[in-house]
Amino acid sequence: MTEVLARLDGIIRHFGHVKALDSANLEIHSGEIHGILGENGAGKTTLLNILGGIIHPDVGFVEVGGSRVRLQSARAAWKMGIGLVHQHFTLVPGLSVLENLALGRRHRGHRWKLHLKEIRKEASQLSELTGLTVPFEASIEELGVGDRQRIEILKALLRDPQLLVLDEPTAVLAPAEINQLFRLLRSLAEEGRAVVLVAHKLDEILSIVDRVTVLRQGRTVMTAARADVDTAILTDAMVGSSSGDGEAPATPDSFSALGQNSDGLAQNRELSNRPVARLKGITVYSPQGGLALQDVGLEVLRGEVIGVAGVEGNGQRELALVLSGRQEVASGKLEIPEHVGFIPQDRTREGLAADFDLTENVALALHRDPKFRLGPLLRWSLIESHATKIRSRFKVRSSGGRTLARELSGGNQQRLVVGRELSQLPELLIAENPTRGLDFTATAFVREELKRLAHDTAAGVVLISTDLDEILEVADRVFVILRGKLTPVPSVHDSRETVGAMMLGSRLETH
Amino acid sequence: MRRFDQLAVAVLALLATGIIAAGSLWLGGYDPLVAGAAMFQGSFGSGTAIFSVTMVRAVPLIVTGLAVALAFRAGVWNIGAEGQLYAGAIAAAWVGLSWGNAPGWFLTSATLVAALLAGAVWAAIPAFMKVRLGIGEVIPTILMNFVGIYLAAFVVHGPLQETRGVFPQTDPISDAARLSVLVEGTRLHAGFLIALLLGVILWIGLRWTHFGFQARAVGASPEAARVSGMIESKRVLLVVFLSSGAIAGLAGGIEITGVTFALYEGLSPGWGYTAIAVALLAGLHPAWVVFTGLLFGGLEAGAGAMQREAGVPAAWVSAVEALVILFVLAGDQIRRRFGA
Repeated sequence: MTEVLARLDGIIRHFGHVKALDSANLEIHSGEIHGILGENGAGKTTLLNILGGIIHPDVGFVEVGGSRVRLQSARAAWKMGIGLVHQHFTLVPGLSVLENLALGRRHRGHRWKLHLKEIRKEASQLSELTGLTVPFEASIEELGVGDRQRIEILKALLRDPQLLVLDEPTAVLAPAEINQLFRLLRSLAEEGRAVVLVAHKLDEILSIVDRVTVLRQGRTVMTAARADVDTAILTDAMVGSSSGDGEAPATPDSFSALGQNSDGLAQNRELSNRPVARLKGITVYSPQGGLALQDVGLEVLRGEVIGVAGVEGNGQRELALVLSGRQEVASGKLEIPEHVGFIPQDRTREGLAADFDLTENVALALHRDPKFRLGPLLRWSLIESHATKIRSRFKVRSSGGRTLARELSGGNQQRLVVGRELSQLPELLIAENPTRGLDFTATAFVREELKRLAHDTAAGVVLISTDLDEILEVADRVFVILRGKLTPVPSVHDSRETVGAMMLGSRLETH
Repeated sequence: MRRFDQLAVAVLALLATGIIAAGSLWLGGYDPLVAGAAMFQGSFGSGTAIFSVTMVRAVPLIVTGLAVALAFRAGVWNIGAEGQLYAGAIAAAWVGLSWGNAPGWFLTSATLVAALLAGAVWAAIPAFMKVRLGIGEVIPTILMNFVGIYLAAFVVHGPLQETRGVFPQTDPISDAARLSVLVEGTRLHAGFLIALLLGVILWIGLRWTHFGFQARAVGASPEAARVSGMIESKRVLLVVFLSSGAIAGLAGGIEITGVTFALYEGLSPGWGYTAIAVALLAGLHPAWVVFTGLLFGGLEAGAGAMQREAGVPAAWVSAVEALVILFVLAGDQIRRRFGA
């Protein structure tokens, strides 16, 4: 019954000076759903990439079906029946969804011809079977991350893997879609396949896995059956007893530590409840010509967190860009402060410049601040010390300010972006899925910081998230965005089910 | 660390090029040692070789190399330094010829400013196509090269042809317009100082200034620069593009006022293209461009000597320069994939 499908043993892998994996082990049995847990930078993604043939270990070996293999490439891994669904999407923008699904596939008996029709048939069967609905004819760039995630999963399933490896597949899915995905994964496991899963919500992952492996600082610290562990045990294992710094609660002077004096705070409190941003009748067209935002009105008050819930691709992207002053509107009236803090959802492309070091990435957002300028020159030493503060306060794990952004793990990149934007104490902050890719302690930390920014410094905060729990936890007022229209949810105490239905109900209608 | 990596790439690329170059000479029936010795003798072997040949040849390479490095750092793929150089040379020759009676310091400055402006104008066409119309700059800049090269040919056959009307070249520009000689008894002219100064300015500009940072940010990640909300990418791209063109134009002006004193067909043996190798080998770092420019200057200086002493065709050096580009690009990719 518990046949070992794949095994990673004593894996060590460096990235530059950073030791991402330090003797990590993983054993996957057929027929199981195996969860991998760990804090940001614990090495989860690296481990998954080794399994998927993307990254090669410096030391250690990989066993599949009982024999040692060298997974030289993604293709080699696929041939061994291992399918990896990436955390960052690997779809080709210029191609249609169907063409993307056809990538790398050869049809039996037709070596040279691309049989889109047959692939389409296969894909729509699979799509029906799994409930992963995607628009086959659409071009990738028209689609939001939710759709892209579904396509990635479908693409992996089309290749009929024995072992399906998913790196944070639930981060951008709506609750009902997550349930659907989990049912799908369960049925795959029942067929005797195995599933490896990384997700940051502990409850979520515990609701589905059979066994878990916990990584801490690149080491495997625990592998256990689901029945033998609970949240507390796992949290201890992830954070480690020695360091004990899971995430220290934010100190009362957290914002003043970054340059705000107490007078400013007092003034800010008086400002509460005054509007900081106003949108009236805003209409925006998507690049493809459709209506992205339709007659949107919104008033953001100082001192409040507004939550905008919605399934990806309903106009939240445009709403975020308009609110942060990064996109022009076709019509309507827009009043926003001169500087708006912005946490974009795609940190690797929009939040950070991958080839800039951490200090330079911090400078991206604050190089216009007169404080950091001296005539035409930038005061790099000041920027550097500011960056150091951000790194220590937001616990960005790196080997120093000269580390390149691309050398950071996904979670640490997100911490850097969040830290950079929060540390500027903006009057208005727009956050798009700010905790995507963060572990649970960091998630709690960021949510707390968003609340503090609003409540302590009287900033207006707009949290746009596909994570309903996040919205309900953080927001003072909740809106739902659906097909470009923003609808207020009468009371914050509205249940998860009601808001979820508002987000999704109509979506189901449209399909 | 990063800088060390880049240096390692450059050194390994040069080493690999050297090995292949020597191998190709050997296969072609030449003695690599004799050829190498001749090349060294002709480039760095004597004071005359260094000051009158290598350093003089290096000036246009350094200046166009800086133009290319600046553009590439901001993600502007300006392949048009050659055409911009010709535009600068035409303007410099024209000013130097027609304002011959003006005082020396004024005339020299006016000549070089004209070269700067002409280079910027030459870059303006692809620059506006890129910024306003969203047309990639690579093909337009390449095409503008041909326009520049043939415009120079037209000018020396027609409107600016020498008064004798024999050769396709202009009259010599007035003495007052010429750059002064730096080292007595050599051909090393003040243009070398201009090149050095420009290297320092760009180095400081890119590293420490506000605008330089914006330019690097646009080059490093156009999306992050745009989403930061702090950078007007189009304006930055336009300024960088025009500056790059101006600098390449200046190279043409310096060549006219410092070396040839006249415009003629085929003024540049392809400096604007070699500049890409110079810039890439330097890791697009302005300070290093000065060194790689000198290295390539030496290579071109040695090519003549090699042809005389060892019978190796000078064109072989162009192939060697191209190899450097290939190895640097390959090395960079390898570093990215397997290194940090």
